[in-house]
Amino acid sequence: MTKLLEWLLGVSLVLSAWAVVSFDLLELSLPQTYREVAWPMPLYLLVTFGCYSLATVGYRVATFNDCDEASAELQGQIQEAKQDLRKKGLKI
Amino acid sequence: MATGVDQAVGMSLVVFSLLLFTYYSVWVIILPFVDSDHILHKYFLPREYSVILPGIAAVILLLCIGAFIAVIMWKNRKPKKVD
Repeated sequence: MTKLLEWLLGVSLVLSAWAVVSFDLLELSLPQTYREVAWPMPLYLLVTFGCYSLATVGYRVATFNDCDEASAELQGQIQEAKQDLRKKGLKI
Repeated sequence: MATGVDQAVGMSLVVFSLLLFTYYSVWVIILPFVDSDHILHKYFLPREYSVILPGIAAVILLLCIGAFIAVIMWKNRKPKKVD
């Protein structure tokens, strides 16, 4: 079975479980509060995923290492290259 | 470690997403199990808005992405060649 079929099977299983609980398709007569909690579940999972992505991006921005030596070295190399090209006639 | 503005922006993103996640979780999952005369309900909008507000946010996001693409494509149009 391909990965696509596996994913589609999993998604359809979860979706059918959600539909059965939210819309009472099997006449299970669950308490009203459980149906009220289950109904927004897909949207809630989406919002949770968005929050997790935002937190991951923010955390990695905050902990990304500055490389001061490499930055200074790169600036020096840029100046060298500019002088070299100016000597050879390129206008910068 | 990143310094200055990077750290501030990153940490504020983390804190904002934690706050949003906590508020939304309480709103969707915990509030239905709380008695309707508890004062906690005062801090939350009616539950219909817990579906409408993310929907509006998604629409606004799609509009912004579409507008951005439109602006970029407008700037990149080249005049037709005349033979």
